[in-house]
Amino acid sequence: MLHVITGGSGSGKSAYAENWLLEQREKNLYDENSENTNPSAPFYIATMIPYGKEGETKVIRHRRLRAGKGFRTFECYRDLAKADIPVNTGILLECMSNLTANELYDEAGNMNKPEKVKRQILEGIRHVIEKTDLLVIVTNEVQGDQMEYSEETKIYQRVLGEVNQSLAGLAEKVTEVVYGIPVEIK
Amino acid sequence: MILITGGAYHGKRNYAKQMYPGIEFVDGISCAEETIFACQGMDHFHSYIENRMREGKKLPELLKIVEKLKCENSEIVLITDEIGYGIVPTDAFYREYRETHGRVCTQIAAEAKEVHRVICGIGTVIKG
Repeated sequence: MLHVITGGSGSGKSAYAENWLLEQREKNLYDENSENTNPSAPFYIATMIPYGKEGETKVIRHRRLRAGKGFRTFECYRDLAKADIPVNTGILLECMSNLTANELYDEAGNMNKPEKVKRQILEGIRHVIEKTDLLVIVTNEVQGDQMEYSEETKIYQRVLGEVNQSLAGLAEKVTEVVYGIPVEIK
Repeated sequence: MILITGGAYHGKRNYAKQMYPGIEFVDGISCAEETIFACQGMDHFHSYIENRMREGKKLPELLKIVEKLKCENSEIVLITDEIGYGIVPTDAFYREYRETHGRVCTQIAAEAKEVHRVICGIGTVIKG
């Protein structure tokens, strides 16, 4: 099952996503038809490159949030399709806005072609789905404002918007978290 | 506590006045910090948060205000813009404000008896 979780900044998306994944995984494991008698730990795929002090603080906050929940953290900033992830009982991928930004700009800061970026991201998602019965993807909304953004920023908004649409198309479940309250979209 | 959220210019104040007639709303843009503990309702709660942050307050102190609000003015109706749906700001203050405002509202929503979301003037009760 693919569950896409979106929402504004600071809205509690991560906490909701973690708890939902763990609850759903429990249900799957204790389902009487479950063949999984020796479950592996759930995976957390972190996509944010921690730039500077602010980035580090964010990572520390997220780690604290996950502490004690048994996640195995796997860092993947680009090229999800090549990630060596073993078959497992649950993956939380966080978050699509960072992965998209990382894929859009290479390490030297050059911009890749938007169409290629979208293809690559979706290929990555298909690769990850094959490894698990339960994939939760946290994404963001970055299009709810129109300021005088640069052309590059507009491209980023478009690519992430289109990636979100494709993910929602693949997903069984889409939820928007509004200040910690889950609002069902699909 | 009752929280009413939604994008700017979506008709939140009119909706609030229809839902809770007779309530007087102070303006979060201009009111003092202590006003929140004595008023019936507050419009522009996001500006109230921004003003406190400009005075140097950080998330823990703002969460203390929420805690105190729960004890001293638990019937308050708060109207806020739903920010945090755009590009991450380049300005460090606005980046922190955007995230802190979200965390404060998440705490209020957790404690609130009702949360309403207004889009195009139409409210949906998402909690309560």
